Amino acid sequence: MFQFKGFHFNYVGRRGWFVAFSALTVLASLIIITTKGLNFGTDFKGGTNLQFRFSQTVSESTVRKTLDPLNLGGFSVQKIGKSEENRLIVKMEKHQEESRNLSTQVTEALKKNLGADTVTLEQDETVGPKAGADLRKKAELAIIVSWVLILIYIGFRFDFAFAPGAIVALIHDVILALGGFALTGREISLTVVAAILTIIGYSINDTIIIYDRIRENLQKEIKLSFKDIVNVSINEMFPRTIITSFTVFLVVALMYFFGEGEFQNFGFAMIIGVITGVYSTLSVACPLYIWIKENESLFQKLSTQKSS
Amino acid sequence: MPRNWSSKALLSLSLVLLSVYCLTPTIGHFDRLRAASEKNQKPLPFYLKLFPDQAIRLGLDLQGGIYVEMEVELDDALRNRSDLFSTEIERLTQKETFSPEKSERVGDSSDIKILLKKEGDREAFNRWIHDHYDNVLIEKRESRADKIIVFRLTDVFASKTKDQAVKQALETVRNRIDRYGVSEPTIVRLGSNRLSIELPGMTDPDRALNLIKKGGRLEFRLVDDKLHDEEIRKLVIETRTTLQLPETYTEETINKLNEYLKDKIPEDSEILFEVQYDPITKKSVGGIPYLLKKKAEVTGDMLKNAQVNVHDNEPYVSLSFNPLGTRLFGELTKANIGKRLAIILDGNVTKAPVIKSEIPSGEAQITLGFGDYQSVLKEAEDLTLILHEGALPARMKELTKTVVGPSLGRDSIDKGFHISILAAILVVIFMILYYRLSGLLADIALFLNILFMMAILAVFQATLTLPGIAGIVLTIGMAVDANVLIFERMREETRAGKSIRSALEAGYVNASRAIIDSNTTAFLSGIVLYQFGTGPIRGFAVTLMIGIATTLFTAIFVTRLLQEWVIYGLKRERTS
Repeated sequence: MFQFKGFHFNYVGRRGWFVAFSALTVLASLIIITTKGLNFGTDFKGGTNLQFRFSQTVSESTVRKTLDPLNLGGFSVQKIGKSEENRLIVKMEKHQEESRNLSTQVTEALKKNLGADTVTLEQDETVGPKAGADLRKKAELAIIVSWVLILIYIGFRFDFAFAPGAIVALIHDVILALGGFALTGREISLTVVAAILTIIGYSINDTIIIYDRIRENLQKEIKLSFKDIVNVSINEMFPRTIITSFTVFLVVALMYFFGEGEFQNFGFAMIIGVITGVYSTLSVACPLYIWIKENESLFQKLSTQKSS
Repeated sequence: MPRNWSSKALLSLSLVLLSVYCLTPTIGHFDRLRAASEKNQKPLPFYLKLFPDQAIRLGLDLQGGIYVEMEVELDDALRNRSDLFSTEIERLTQKETFSPEKSERVGDSSDIKILLKKEGDREAFNRWIHDHYDNVLIEKRESRADKIIVFRLTDVFASKTKDQAVKQALETVRNRIDRYGVSEPTIVRLGSNRLSIELPGMTDPDRALNLIKKGGRLEFRLVDDKLHDEEIRKLVIETRTTLQLPETYTEETINKLNEYLKDKIPEDSEILFEVQYDPITKKSVGGIPYLLKKKAEVTGDMLKNAQVNVHDNEPYVSLSFNPLGTRLFGELTKANIGKRLAIILDGNVTKAPVIKSEIPSGEAQITLGFGDYQSVLKEAEDLTLILHEGALPARMKELTKTVVGPSLGRDSIDKGFHISILAAILVVIFMILYYRLSGLLADIALFLNILFMMAILAVFQATLTLPGIAGIVLTIGMAVDANVLIFERMREETRAGKSIRSALEAGYVNASRAIIDSNTTAFLSGIVLYQFGTGPIRGFAVTLMIGIATTLFTAIFVTRLLQEWVIYGLKRERTS
């Protein structure tokens, strides 16, 4: 099989293109997020989800018509899974604290219309608005805390010049993942937040592998210029980057194409994450590292001026 | 062979055997065997005893069950405390010269207002409070008025009470659930004022919630006959139309009603309802208003016992009181023959029978509403249990609730399993195609990795959830990374002219640093995820972290052993 022998790519010389591409996609993501907004799911917004399974084919519109006279407020009906499974989710903005018998009401109405034996309530999920808002705050906090922890770890294990690049790369990845969700209108659920934290873990992994090689080569290859060392390091790690991201891509693509519901959402987020995780190392982490290293003397001057 | 090879190999082999041993109950469905032999009253098959008891524990999303998050309403706990104090103060000062005219809690707050008989009592009363309620009550000077003193709870005492309320609520809920008999419930405190309750396998959410939420506050109060029933009914209807109140009997509605009617009903009385329910939909269909004395004569904490009895095919709960309760109940019934005594549960009148004669034995009954025999019996049993375990220290509000049916869980397991198998097959094929022999070794490591992961889940009884399965699938994809790093490193070292043996050594040593650094950061985000998440998400964080640990072991330790065996034992010059 193909091996990446003798492969060489002048990365450092072309890094401007990578940076430009990242800057554009981040900008585009931010625009989409602010204009289209994020579609927060019941976990974060509050409301009620009822998942039903029918023993015969039932269309979304039949369910909608059955439920319309109940005055449920805003609600949507959605098929999930394969069509022969006959599973439907009814999502309502109301939550059960304000109207206690929501799930019984809906279930009874469906049973009355479609026959008592054909309807099974498989899952009933209610989130109060306060719990949803709290969770959102907690999710944001979790993401920020993970950034800070990683920043500290890198600053501690590596030179501090490495840390800013790594963190900006992570922020970049999270923005792009959210952009993907805003663009497709997919729902942001708890599982998606878990995926985002996993992306953070995965993307930093990729950055660290390259950083580690740069660190090693810096100690070893004195003949080369600093930029060449970065170049060589990235090229040396290229096969690993491709292979690992390929296997991870394989499994998350499986989740996306064969999974359903939350599994699929998770797969979708991870597909974005696997791709951005790899190139954010090239388009954000390394350029920022090079820039800091090049201007090291400037930073030093600044800090001595301050202290004196 | 390198030094220690055989002892390391032996260690790995015994870990594999141990893992298989720990997983046997899961794979062999021992739980089903156990249930079957219990059902048929046969002794357990002997080999069950040779293996650990527990299979991998499934989360609610996979097993079916109920998950609820409750908020303990802390202000309510403070109010309850103040209510207790205000009656206590009245009782304790009864025989003192400065005994106040009245002592009551103010509106919605937890302040206590004392109305003195004369202004001259102020100093003596204040001294008494200082002696008996030091660090508990403190005067609110800004509310001082003629013959009136207002006290509030001190901050220290308030925060202690709040904390205790949550602990006590947790304890009460746990006792109720335990008594009800749900297998392996998990009830924990979340943050300062929340409880998370997981009831695996339970599928009757209404009953479960009732059991958890029901305050369990029992009071016996006299019906105030200053106003006629018909007059009260009229007043209520009038008020509902003027205030445009909904046809509900929630505490909020009742409070508004009483507030509005303040001047039309006696000061020491309030209106409460006997709510009537439709037996099928369980929705309230109407309520009979009663004018009741505010003061509770006998309360639930004077109960000695509560049990279900059946009379004329109608289940009811019979109560017996402790000595104090018996005495008070006797005195009360003796002094009020011909009057009505209302039994109030959590602010709702359950019944208001006429006192026909003195009841010196300290026994009473609560009859329950409507519906078929079975559901009334269930209701009676649950009420008995709640009265037994005591009242909640404060009201609780439902924040989130998830009910998962058992069939959905089984489907999710099957689907997750299929995706995992598919993922593993694809990765295995790819690794063999790309790395040949080394790829095969990495595949063996991957297989052991999954085996170890599952074994750890079983041994530590960590919960496997649907996102947890996603974590396993993800680990399958990421686990080969460590080996890829090592193999690529070995190729580089070979290209640099090293022999296969020194390339092996250098490959493992040099790659390990990067592997450990990158996995540590991934582990860090796992910890954050665990802290942030509840239920299912924690399951994901758990498999992710276990996966990282087992990956490090299998990729660095096990594949190295295998490589050494190939290179030293089989004398192969290349492995990939």
